[in-house]
Amino acid sequence: MTRNARSDHLHQAVRRFADGDRVRSFAELALDIAEFQREYSPGFARLWASRRASIVSVDDIPGVPCDAFRLARVALQSEAEDRLRFSTSGTTSGARGMHAMRVTETYQELALNFGRAALLSNDRAHYVVALAPLLDDPPTSSLGHMMAMFMVDFERRGPFDVRTSERWLLDDRGVDLVGLERAAARATERGETLLVLATSFALVGLLDALEGRTLPLPDGAVVMQTGGFKGKTREFDPSELRTAVARSFGISHAQIVSEYGMTELTSQLYEATVTGSALERERRGTPGVYAEPPWLRVVPVDPTTLEPVPNGEIGIARIVDLGNVDSAVAIQTQDRVRRVEGGIVLLGRAPGAPARGCSLAIEEFLAQGLG
Amino acid sequence: MSDGEFAARRARLEPLFESARSLADPSTDRGRHARQRLVASSGLSAQGVDLALLRCLETAPDEAQIAALIRSTPRAQVAHVLLSANVFVAAHRAIAIGLAASAQVRVRTSRREPEMAELLLTGAPGSFELVTELSPHAGDRLWAYGSDETMDEVAVTLPAGVAFHAHGSGFGVAVLEGGHSESELSTLLSALAGDIALFDQRGCLSPRVLLVAAEPAFANELASELARALAVLEEHVPRGQFSAAELSAIAQYRDTAHFTGEIFEAGLGFVSVGQTNTWLLPPTGRNIHVLAVSDALAALTPYRPLLTSCAFAGGPALGEELRRALPGARVCRFGEMQRPPFDGPVDRRDL
Repeated sequence: MTRNARSDHLHQAVRRFADGDRVRSFAELALDIAEFQREYSPGFARLWASRRASIVSVDDIPGVPCDAFRLARVALQSEAEDRLRFSTSGTTSGARGMHAMRVTETYQELALNFGRAALLSNDRAHYVVALAPLLDDPPTSSLGHMMAMFMVDFERRGPFDVRTSERWLLDDRGVDLVGLERAAARATERGETLLVLATSFALVGLLDALEGRTLPLPDGAVVMQTGGFKGKTREFDPSELRTAVARSFGISHAQIVSEYGMTELTSQLYEATVTGSALERERRGTPGVYAEPPWLRVVPVDPTTLEPVPNGEIGIARIVDLGNVDSAVAIQTQDRVRRVEGGIVLLGRAPGAPARGCSLAIEEFLAQGLG
Repeated sequence: MSDGEFAARRARLEPLFESARSLADPSTDRGRHARQRLVASSGLSAQGVDLALLRCLETAPDEAQIAALIRSTPRAQVAHVLLSANVFVAAHRAIAIGLAASAQVRVRTSRREPEMAELLLTGAPGSFELVTELSPHAGDRLWAYGSDETMDEVAVTLPAGVAFHAHGSGFGVAVLEGGHSESELSTLLSALAGDIALFDQRGCLSPRVLLVAAEPAFANELASELARALAVLEEHVPRGQFSAAELSAIAQYRDTAHFTGEIFEAGLGFVSVGQTNTWLLPPTGRNIHVLAVSDALAALTPYRPLLTSCAFAGGPALGEELRRALPGARVCRFGEMQRPPFDGPVDRRDL
């Protein structure tokens, strides 16, 4: 079987798994994908070979460090076969990595499958706007692309051009408050549920622009927040931001849901907190606890040995994402996490090796945009 | 500068040199005592401290260098010195610059490494003053050493009229041209291993990247040989203590390097080989990234502001080209990176 035929076969198996087919387990699929990647990715083969023990369980699969995406192409297919290329934001450094995809259907199905479960609080159509910059063409932001998919899918009126300023309410001048008010009025008028997709950075900008005023959203509106602050603005404690956003929009805390995703992944995690959502009904989540979709598993590992830590202890997140068939099925992040009932708690990024005196720290190197 | 002023400045330095000489000597009580204290504070192995004192502490700088240091140091009403933690011998040069500038020198040590300045003061009582806080006033000068973040924090606290000499973050590189015999290469790599291993690579002069002007296959061979040289050196000079965060950074670097190219174990450290032009900056801990390049000068250009030192192995023309291209860096031969001439600050960057 050719590489692409094997890849297609695995993609189909993953999509079937996401649809509830459990003929093959998560572990079987993860190990099959890892084996496939070992065969076709020299980099992953070297990483695999560096592990002295054999790889027999999901926990044994070595995570490809996120830095690798910045330094090398992490894709099994040739560049000519790329159908989507997402760039990492690279913090404020300008040092960007890239996640290239040959098969977009898996990304679409997985993102929509769990997005619907986490974000849709009722059966009505939704009206979706993003507090994010206008999506570029072709899309280079995985988050923007996902937001665009949600706009089309959640509104249930078939494909339409989402690249309009009515939908993307953030630009160099800041958040378009008038546009957001218009979206709220429109959702109310149509009897649709308003869904606001926002980066944390944009929400802080919105709070600044409101200067203490309120901008009431319609009943049942949901706000999805994602991402960090990346040094762009003043930072907020997540719970403070949630409280401030709830107050400004006149909505409850349960109507605000956090998403965790990254360009290097195909899948996303959400808090299972939106009242009425399928995810909330199934898992009864609490704020701050991120639920994994069935096709993704977070393994907290010791930052030094990279071995899994005992359940409940803090480690850094190795994320096994079955959607990453053609890139890296396991990603090693520097995000500190702890497993709790219902998912994982994010505890912020592990500090890099601290700069001791004048020796340049890696973070500083990256911050100069040179890495 | 008048002869009288020069002589006064020169005289202020001598007790410091004498103090350094007695610290470096392992046969004296002071030398033995210093080693004990510095092992505890620096995190280096006993052999690492010994090597640093013997090889890097300037105990007998030549008069031409001292004259250059004095003449290049501006006068100050009071000289304030904020020391860094990671390279303990750097306290000596930093305090010498303070003494060249003023008869009144106030020194604040790092909380993590207060020992060296205290040891120097013990051997040169009254030469300078150790303080817990620096309070410079207009007309004073402050020489500060540390991370860029620390420099930024210090800068915003300074009153108007204080001249600030900030020496922030940086790193060293090495450049090797082809055309060396096997035995020459072996000597060169042993010398470079010494540059890497000193202070467990925590200093801003420490090399973190080696550019090889040759084909990639040769860079691989060289990396393997360098790894061997580092491992041999580690048998004599073991690596010291590393924090969990530092070890985590090394684990991440190791796996990134496995994915992106080749990596060779080098004792507890690693030598990685890149396959793209993007630099992978290894964490400290005796790790270095090797890149085959066709034009070393062009490869260095984007990193110029960060480069404190550049060792080269090649003809004199290469050295001249590097000096022109990197006016802020100390350009030297392999094995000399950790001992720049005692003629001024450790680097020449405009800050």
